[in-house]
Amino acid sequence: MDYATSLYLTGAEIGLSISGLVLLLVSAWGGARVTRLVTILAAAALFGAAIFTGHLFTELSVPAAGDAFGGLYRADDFSSFAKILIYLAVIACLMITPKYLAANGIYRSEYPILLLFGAVGMSMMVSAVDLITLYIGLELSSLSSYVLASFARDDVRSSEAGLKYFILGALASGILLYGMSLIYGFAGTTDYAAIRLAFIGGIETGALFGIVFVLAGLAFKIAAVPFHMWTPDVYEGAPTPVTAFFASAPKVAAVAILMRIALEPFADHVDSWRQIVVFAALASIVVGALGAIGQDSLKRLLAYSSINNVGFILIGLATATQLGTSAMMTYLVIYVVMTLGSFTALLMLRAEDGRPFETFSDIAGLATRKPAIAWCLLLLMFSLAGIPPLFGFWAKFVVFRAAVEADLIALAAIGIAASVIGAFYYLKFVKVMFFDEAEGSVVKTSPIGQWIVLILAGIIVSPLGYFLNGLLDAWSSDAAASLFYLV
Amino acid sequence: MIGIEHYIVVSAILFVLGVLGIFLNRKNIIVILMAIELILLAVNINLVAFSAFLNDLTGQVFAMFVLTVAAGEAAIGLAILVIYFRNRGTIAVDDVDRLKG
Amino acid sequence: MVDLSQYLPILLFLFIALGLSVAFVFLPMGVSRLTGAHQPTAEKLSEYECGFPAFEDSRGQFDVRFYLVAILFIVFDLEAAFLFPWAVSLDLTGWAGWTTMMIFLAELAVGLAYAWKVGALEWE
Repeated sequence: MDYATSLYLTGAEIGLSISGLVLLLVSAWGGARVTRLVTILAAAALFGAAIFTGHLFTELSVPAAGDAFGGLYRADDFSSFAKILIYLAVIACLMITPKYLAANGIYRSEYPILLLFGAVGMSMMVSAVDLITLYIGLELSSLSSYVLASFARDDVRSSEAGLKYFILGALASGILLYGMSLIYGFAGTTDYAAIRLAFIGGIETGALFGIVFVLAGLAFKIAAVPFHMWTPDVYEGAPTPVTAFFASAPKVAAVAILMRIALEPFADHVDSWRQIVVFAALASIVVGALGAIGQDSLKRLLAYSSINNVGFILIGLATATQLGTSAMMTYLVIYVVMTLGSFTALLMLRAEDGRPFETFSDIAGLATRKPAIAWCLLLLMFSLAGIPPLFGFWAKFVVFRAAVEADLIALAAIGIAASVIGAFYYLKFVKVMFFDEAEGSVVKTSPIGQWIVLILAGIIVSPLGYFLNGLLDAWSSDAAASLFYLV
Repeated sequence: MIGIEHYIVVSAILFVLGVLGIFLNRKNIIVILMAIELILLAVNINLVAFSAFLNDLTGQVFAMFVLTVAAGEAAIGLAILVIYFRNRGTIAVDDVDRLKG
Repeated sequence: MVDLSQYLPILLFLFIALGLSVAFVFLPMGVSRLTGAHQPTAEKLSEYECGFPAFEDSRGQFDVRFYLVAILFIVFDLEAAFLFPWAVSLDLTGWAGWTTMMIFLAELAVGLAYAWKVGALEWE
């Protein structure tokens, strides 16, 4: 085996792991003084990893791929695309965090390190072409997430969120793992390509159970209905920057492994998993739209919004076509931008006594008090609702187009109907901000890092985002092509 | 003669007991942690049994990884439980109710 | 591929297992309700300690510091699970195996150093 090639292909993960370990020691010896330094270095390491992955993305000719470590790991355009998105999302999380955590007295250098290890786990997940690699990556990112959810150690809600996330996350891993053990038993291997060969003549009932268990476990991780019940609680309880992280990077990684596992080892048996994905997609869209209506807590509302978005993403998977996959990648990018932007706006709003804004009555009349943030939120909410001139519309459009071309017209029709219901609560946001009476005070200044993320998100979701369309389309279809390379 | 089906039945029973242990237990969060371990051990029985049956080492390697990850998971679970206990003074399942929509 | 199809019926056992474990949980409860045996009194619920009145609650709490020690123990204990198969197969895996394990041990050492430095190993 050629170790040099393997090490080269896994360069991003290795670099991030080493930085994580070194920064861990730096933080242990440096104490509270180095927190800021560790944050900056972690962001730099992630940026370096993103550049390196970008280099791989352009260098590996489409749709060829490089296998590392005897087929446990694959660097292809699909994994590079997802990884760059993950790294950039984590960098954005690092940029918006410090001020918020410092204001709550919990800004410790373990925070960026946990995010780094989480990023390593996520990038292993998206590159995994073997069940063992998949499991290790998944657990690395999940274990970091559990700790992050309860990062505000003295806050009752944060520790409860951590506990709930841990219990349900561990249950999900257990279910996923049970499915993997059945697949291993019936295929006799854990390698994706070999699993596909093993089931070429047909799939046995036992392995079918395995697929069902694996899909159920992954549905937990991406918070698709009917395994979504933890999402609103955890999103509400965790510190807001951590919630922003949960809604962005881990979701990309989990959707990516779902795509790879559905479309690589089980590509010949689409019929055996399509029903489940269609059900999860429709249920997520409907529950996400209806569940949000009565909510007063903004974080819970955004949690339902993320459930709703996962439903739209799954429509792309239900098509099981290259076009659908490419649409999912496009949707993921736009979703990450919208969700990071909305959470950043939420982070920037706090009363003068330091209390963060959490409910609709807090943001009443925001347009007169903080017009810039209010206008950015307006763009983001219209975009999440999928109102045409904004970029969020394009995300929904490509997914529906793929569904129609795959003859899933009923699915697309129900999705469009449900997105109209969803528009209701996004518009409520705007109505409260622009037409309700203002009350209370709001902090005047926000750190530059949060402004950068918010304004970038605002620009991308605005109609200016369509200038990115050419690039985004090309990259998404490259990424999708590499999943279908073997077909 | 004990065949692979016996192992799979045992593992299936353990798995289901573990899942039910999480949902039906109304007493103590430590019991939930034990139920999670039970699920992972059920998986390990499956993996090792298949591995022996198929004459293929992969399953045993997988089982080792599951074991160590389960240890890490238990450690993090206990740590979160400790900080939760410090905040609330209780680890009864029915008291985990601050977050409601 | 090994033909496992003759073992397919055991998958039906998944359902049977489900039914069984539901029965395990609910049957005792149901039986005790139906037979009227469920009549707890203070005497019945008190624990038996060699005929003496109990000195203290048998479900007394452990010092939370024991949990911290347990947490560290679990993590570092499990490395032995990797060391044994590594040691017996070193002649097959060669220098690659040796290097990998040294990297793994170095990572554990980093973890230990961190735990030590932040004071997780101190009792007080």
